[in-house]
Order: sequence, then structure tokens, then C-alpha cells
Amino acid sequence: MIVRQLCLRQARQLRALPRQSRILSRFSSTETTVETAVKTPVRPSPVEPGTSSGFSATEVEAYQQKVQNKHVFHSFGSKVSGAYRPESIIRSPPKPSEVTLELLLACQTHLGHSTSRWNPQNSRYIYGVRDGIHILSLDLTAAHLRRAAKVVEEVSARGGLVLFVGTRKGQKRTVVRAAELAGAYHLFERWIPGSLTNGQQILGHCEKKLVNPFDEQVHMWENEVEEYPALKPDLVVCLNPLENEVLLHECGLNNVPTIGVIDTDANPTSVTYPIPSNDDSLRAVGLIAGVLGRAGQAGQKRRLEEAQKGNLTYERMAPLVSTENVAKPSPAHLPLMNVSDGQPVEAASAAPSAVEPARTEAVSAEAASAELSSVELASAEAAGTEAASAEAANAEPTIAERGTDSPKKQQ
Amino acid sequence: MGKLNLTALRVRQTAIRQKAVGKFDKLPKWVDAIADIPPAQAIVRTPAQQHQLVRQRVKSIPGASKPQVVFEVQEKPIKPKKASRMFQPVELKYEEDLLRKEFFRDHPWELARPRIVVETTGKDAEGHDWSRIQQRGKGLDGESVVQRQLWLLNNVPDMTKSFAYDTARREFYRLRLQEDIERRVAAEEAEATGATFGPSRHEIGMELESKEYERWKTWAKREALVSDQRTAAFTGAESQGDKPEEQSTDDVTQALTE
Repeated sequence: MIVRQLCLRQARQLRALPRQSRILSRFSSTETTVETAVKTPVRPSPVEPGTSSGFSATEVEAYQQKVQNKHVFHSFGSKVSGAYRPESIIRSPPKPSEVTLELLLACQTHLGHSTSRWNPQNSRYIYGVRDGIHILSLDLTAAHLRRAAKVVEEVSARGGLVLFVGTRKGQKRTVVRAAELAGAYHLFERWIPGSLTNGQQILGHCEKKLVNPFDEQVHMWENEVEEYPALKPDLVVCLNPLENEVLLHECGLNNVPTIGVIDTDANPTSVTYPIPSNDDSLRAVGLIAGVLGRAGQAGQKRRLEEAQKGNLTYERMAPLVSTENVAKPSPAHLPLMNVSDGQPVEAASAAPSAVEPARTEAVSAEAASAELSSVELASAEAAGTEAASAEAANAEPTIAERGTDSPKKQQ
Repeated sequence: MGKLNLTALRVRQTAIRQKAVGKFDKLPKWVDAIADIPPAQAIVRTPAQQHQLVRQRVKSIPGASKPQVVFEVQEKPIKPKKASRMFQPVELKYEEDLLRKEFFRDHPWELARPRIVVETTGKDAEGHDWSRIQQRGKGLDGESVVQRQLWLLNNVPDMTKSFAYDTARREFYRLRLQEDIERRVAAEEAEATGATFGPSRHEIGMELESKEYERWKTWAKREALVSDQRTAAFTGAESQGDKPEEQSTDDVTQALTE
């Protein structure tokens, strides 16, 4: 029996898988194969006597001379400058203030999809039709990109958790680099459905840590931190909303703001802050992710600078242990328990000037599983406030005054 | 909500309401962060941008001492439109399109030449001055002719399309010839100083082709032989049909050996 077409059940996930298109049955032969009478004769190439490689002695000599000359003259000649280097968009992406319409045009952000595939909700982002495709309006792209950059910066400056998601082929390095710049988290493989709506089951076992305002890990309340509910991002940047419908739906259910790259065939209402742009070009997506990464970097820098001055850019976290527990703390916790809301001035001056975000290590993790745990690790950031004040040693203990409820009960 | 799901656009309002009803004690961090940055308007339809084809020409007017710049706008046929068409994007048209089409219709092999289309900053065109056909940092190609022709049409008084085309083409052909000569001289110089060039692409192609031809010849001979034998076995040896068959195979082999 010859199985001509293996038709898989048309599940939605299977359809999303990249696989070879079906070969029409009229192209496949129905007869058994017949061997041709003569196989392709392999004729050995005639070898010149004397030389084994087929080159004459003068040619070999000339070649050697050429190689030698190349070596000698290598340092001379003109230097190539201003050439296009595809890596540069990943290595050193521009800041939001450096984005120009020319740059957007060169990065192909204006190219939309075929006119027949458009989502009419995007009509206001479209400049016109050219050669059968929609052309996106670059001034709108720039405006929306700057607005989104502002959001990323503000959220990062307030110590929010940002998650960069780009699950298309080839977007891995872009996403990782953007997250690295912004001190954020990244996802380049499949979003596990339920990571937000059923986070406690899926991510509950992941590691969490507590950090102070200078992003240094603080070892206190270790049991409480371990039992802390699974964390949720404060902002999700999605580079391919078409493939991540589930993620965006979950963000909607959990009330998480989202930023998305909206091509002419995507639904602009699926995200909070759409950026009308081409999402198929790696260069376009790289530019957008890079700009947002730079914005996040600026936000993180601002937050750390404020922390150096002794200001917190976010609300202080409630203590994780109840008042009764504080009354008899374990000896290990004793020095740290001198926590207060006094100004951590001394701590600020004593703190190292340039603190690498603790999250960065998690960010550069390659595997998807590490990915999700990194989201979890983010709890460090959320919990960071209290630890900060722990640094300020000389102040009266005021823990008892504060409420003991867990700050996050969104589920 | 019907078709539209506005949850994503209303995250802030939802968070504030959830806080008000006591779902959580503290507002999320992002709520005041995005207070000053409202989400974009969605679903609002704006009339599509209209694009008109504008031609710039310089015309000398009998009375005036100086030639005058004239802008001509292509008249659009006024047709009654459906109201919904108002929001449909309009085709983008430029004057160059027609010039480009004409040039590449006349010179189709210009399209086969390699061309750099990628830009780093997108500002390459800023340094171009089409009062001459050669540009710094841009190779000479069909686009140069088109841009040069357009410049002539836009800036030279009383210029006609065909005269501009001829002028631009003449400059183009001259430079192409010069390039050819430069390339030939460079190759000669290189050979004189000891460079060796391997077989050209054309030679490699011809060699591959002749190899394939030889292979086919052997196969065809054998096929002809097998076919002969099959016919002989079917009709009996030395049958009537055998004679012309053999004749034909002889022809084939003879043709092949020639």
C-alpha cells in the first residue's frame, strides 16, 4: 500500500507548526518504480601527467605568488565605512530619541501585508497601497513607538516587571538583548498557556528572591518568599501578537498592560499600546525591540539613581512576616529586623555605584524553562522595597505598624 | 462586547475599579506610570489619506523674462463613491513610476544586474544631486537614469519627456562603456602583474553541459538498442518491421556520433 497523503487532524496547534505543504497526489507516481537500463556512468577525469591537481607548474607558482602578495599588500588600500552591518541593530540599538523616519524606512517598518489580508481596524495606520501591499504610515509608527518607549521607561523606573515576548523564528537574540538592556525578562519559545491564569500551578515551584533597591539580593524571610504567590509581569511587550493570542488573552484576564507590534493583518485592540509596524522583518522587529530595550534601560538607570539618593520610586512592600513572628525572630534575622521607613541615607552612600540588576543573569538564560522561572524570579524585584529599608540600619523598628497582608491578591 | 474586546485598552480603569471594590489593597505599579500615557485610540476610522500625482515643470512664458515653475495635478475622474470606500487606502503613485516602467521595458537586462537596496541610516538619498548622473556611494544603474530624467523634467525649462530620456540614456551608455573599458584594463593589468583567473562562469557552464550531453548519448544508445531487441523479440527476428527500425536507430547513432 502506498500512503500518499498523511492528513493530520487539523488541530489549531498543528496548523501553526511549520511543515511542508501537501504534495498533490497527481504529482506522486502510482506505478512501481522502473529501473532505468543504464545508470549514470561516472567517468574519471583525465589527470595530466606530472601534476596531481591538474594545474600546470606556472599556474601553481603564480597562485603562490598571489597569496604572498595578498599577505604583503593586505594593510594597504581603502577602508570600508558606513557599510550595513546587520548585527548593529542588536548590539547597539538606537535610543527612542534617535529614531527617525528615515531609519524606520530603512528598517522596513513601513511594509504591511497584501491588501487582501488587512484588518480594517488598522485603516488609520495605513498610508496607502503600493504594488498590492499596504504601506504603513511612518509618522504614526514613530509616534506610537515613542509612546510605547515612554511606557516601558516609566514602568521600569517604578520597578515594574517587564516581559519581552517574541516567539517567531530568528527573534531570539533580539528579544534576549532587549530584555538584557531593560533589565527585564524574556520569552522566545512557546508561551505555556495558563502561566498567568494558572500561575500558581505552573510557576509556583520556581525560585524567587528578595532584592533591595540597589538590586542586591537580601536573604531574609526565606520561607515566606518561597511561599509568595507566583508573580505577574507589570508590562508585556509582544513582538508577534498574531501567534501569541493566548498570552494576550491571559494578560487581558489578569489586567496586565501590553505593548504589541501590529502589522496590517493583526488586531490592534488585542494590545493596550499598539505599534503599527512590519512584524515579519527581523530588522524592523529588532529596531522596535531595541528601542524599547533602551527605554527600559533608561528607566532602570533612573530608578537606581533615585535609590542612590535614598528615594524609592515605588511603594514600600508590606512585611511578609506577621507581628507575632517579629516578636521572637530567629537569630539569623535579628540584624535585618531593624527595619523602618526612615530615610536610608547611609545605606545609599555606602551602596556600590553601579549595581548590575540581579535579574540579568536570569535574563540571559537560554532555555525556555529557565525563561519561566525567570519570570518567577522577578518576585525579587516586587519584594525589593522592604529589603531596601533593611539596609538602613539605624532607625526604630516600625514593622508592627504596617499591615501584614500580602500585597498581591490579583487572582 | 460583541466582536470587539476592549479589555486591553481599559486596563487602567479596570485596575482602579478593582481597587475600589477591594480586590486588592494596593494599586499595581504601572497604574500611575501609564496615567499620563493613555492608550492609543482604537477603532476610530479616519478618512484615508489621499494621494495625488503632482508633476513639476519649468516653462518659459512669452512675456516673462524668467521661466516659471508650474505644478500640474493629475485630474481624477469624479465618480460617485460608496461611503465605505472613503476609508479605503488609496494607491500611491509617483511620476517616476512611468519613467521606470519605460526604461526597464527598453532595457530588461538591467534588472538582471546586482543592486544594493539595503540602507543603514536611510539617508543615502540626501547626498544625491541629480544634476549629474553619477552619484557618490551609489552604483550606476537603471534607477540613475530614471532619477536623472526626472530631474531634467523638473528643472530644465521646456523639457520634453523623450528628450530627457534620450539625454539621460546617452549619459548612462557613455558611463557604462567607460566602466567596461576600465574593467578590461584592470584585468589586463592584473594579468600582467601575475594574477590568474580561473575558467569563467560561461566556460564552467559549457563544460557541465557537454558532460551532461555525453551522459545522455550513452544512455540514448543503450535505450535504442534495448528498444530494438524488444521489437525483435515481439515480431520475430528479421521481420518486416525490423528493417525500418534498424534504419532509424542507425540514424540516431550516426547523428549522435557526429
